Amino acid sequence: MSDQPNPRQAAALALAIAALCLLLVVSLMVGEARLTPAQVVSGLLRQEEFASVVVWQLRLPRLIVGGLVGAALAAAGVVMQAYFRNSLASPGLLGVSSGGTAGAVVAIAIGATASSLWILPLASIAGASLATLAVIGLARRGASTERLLLAGVALNALLGAMTTYVLSAYERNTQILFWLLGGIEDRTWEHVAMASPIVVVGALLWPLGRPLDLLALGPREAQSLGVDVRVLRRKLLVASTLLSALATAVAGTVGFVGLIVPHLLRLAIGPEHKRLVPVSLVAGATFVIGCDIAGRLAGDLRLGIVTSLIGGPFFLWMLRKTL
Amino acid sequence: MDASQDALSLGAIEVPGRLQLDRLALPRGALIGLVGPNGSGKSTLLQVAAGLLPPGPGGAVQWDGEPLASVPMLDRGRRAAWVPQEALFEFGFSVRSVVAQGRFAHGDDGAGVDEAVAQFDLVALSHRPVNELSGGERHRVLLARALATGAPLQLWDEPLAALDPRHGLEVLMLARKLSQAGGTVVFSLHDLRVAHCLDFVAVLHERKLRAAGAPETVLTPELLREVFGVKSRSGETLILELP
Repeated sequence: MSDQPNPRQAAALALAIAALCLLLVVSLMVGEARLTPAQVVSGLLRQEEFASVVVWQLRLPRLIVGGLVGAALAAAGVVMQAYFRNSLASPGLLGVSSGGTAGAVVAIAIGATASSLWILPLASIAGASLATLAVIGLARRGASTERLLLAGVALNALLGAMTTYVLSAYERNTQILFWLLGGIEDRTWEHVAMASPIVVVGALLWPLGRPLDLLALGPREAQSLGVDVRVLRRKLLVASTLLSALATAVAGTVGFVGLIVPHLLRLAIGPEHKRLVPVSLVAGATFVIGCDIAGRLAGDLRLGIVTSLIGGPFFLWMLRKTL
Repeated sequence: MDASQDALSLGAIEVPGRLQLDRLALPRGALIGLVGPNGSGKSTLLQVAAGLLPPGPGGAVQWDGEPLASVPMLDRGRRAAWVPQEALFEFGFSVRSVVAQGRFAHGDDGAGVDEAVAQFDLVALSHRPVNELSGGERHRVLLARALATGAPLQLWDEPLAALDPRHGLEVLMLARKLSQAGGTVVFSLHDLRVAHCLDFVAVLHERKLRAAGAPETVLTPELLREVFGVKSRSGETLILELP
């Protein structure tokens, strides 16, 4: 079914790339001020002042941040699912995104973010790392679905409460909504810079396809076949934590992307990670940009709301199949 | 390789609560059975032998006389293959791609994979997702993967338990062929009648090694009574063979 790239897989990849290209253009057109494709082009070329401002100041950073966030969350989901050998593992459900949010919010509250652009992502990475360690402690590797999800529920509740408390105590109430239900409106080139390491981490995952396959079928089996499982697992944890944290630092908690995208991709192109990892980066970006456009068309629904509206029912459907 | 003819030797193994073993040496080119009641430490022994569980402080595992600790991780994948007792798959990799994983340490995708698929009667299943197979079929996939590694030391944890009589016999014949070609096959089993036909048997009892050697000298009525609590006698019995 999935040894050689078959026509179906090639078609799925071509479709994802075509969809991405289309959405890239649409994403620059749609918004409070609608632009025609011709205006988008003249805006991109800085030929027309108004279109140029809209494209370069508002929509392009938003588009790029959305793409990076989607790529990061989908790839983090793929990695976590292989690590825990469970297709329900993902940054949102396991509380890693909530950890990143809590870290970011604490940094904002104590005013640390004013000094440097990089404090916010670093704080987010610290929070996400703590959450990752907690999940591993609570659920162990290859844990049952119940155990894994319960650990995630506990962490999400704890970290969510922490985030809400910090934000309300420090009188930044307006930001609570942003951090608990993520979004990518009003993103600037600064946010693009903050999220840019996602490209590097994604590229580092690329060569790990084969070992990921082996790990996904059992850590002891993988080790007996020659994989240095301890080293591989460490790399995977660092990568998935970094990806989740960087995405959270610029967009808040955007749920379900790491669950939906890998699952649909496995159905479309099979479970082999040497394809799943790169395609998940493209498809994740496509999915989030698409959700963002849908949100804008539906009267400025936040990205986090759109992904949750799609992801909630999807998750329940998956759960019904799994348990 | 040193002068030792042992494919595998274990010394001073101590896995708390699971296995304590002073010394066990297994000859190269032999078909070797590991028997013992449930919980006697067979799986633990195989995992220690495969380098998947630490042998404990002062414990040592040697492959062909070479300490396992000095064998690089990737080399291990070429020199020994381990098959777990339970074959569980979360993701729907195809049968062939799982068998091809046996080539990971060799860095090639193909060599010996189709042969291994055919050996274990998996040709008709080769494109099916492994998570939709029956327990016995999944086990054959793992055995085929172990075979595809081409490793001279094969460590199989109860390979016969999940298989139907015919596939069980085929696996035994294959193991026999591997050992005749100079490989060493060590596997745990519960069928003492099968154990009787092997080259070498190690008996575990209460997480310790009770006896090891040729089956006719080891599997005495006294030992069977003491270790397994069964009375034994030779006599006419149903004999199964491949046609």
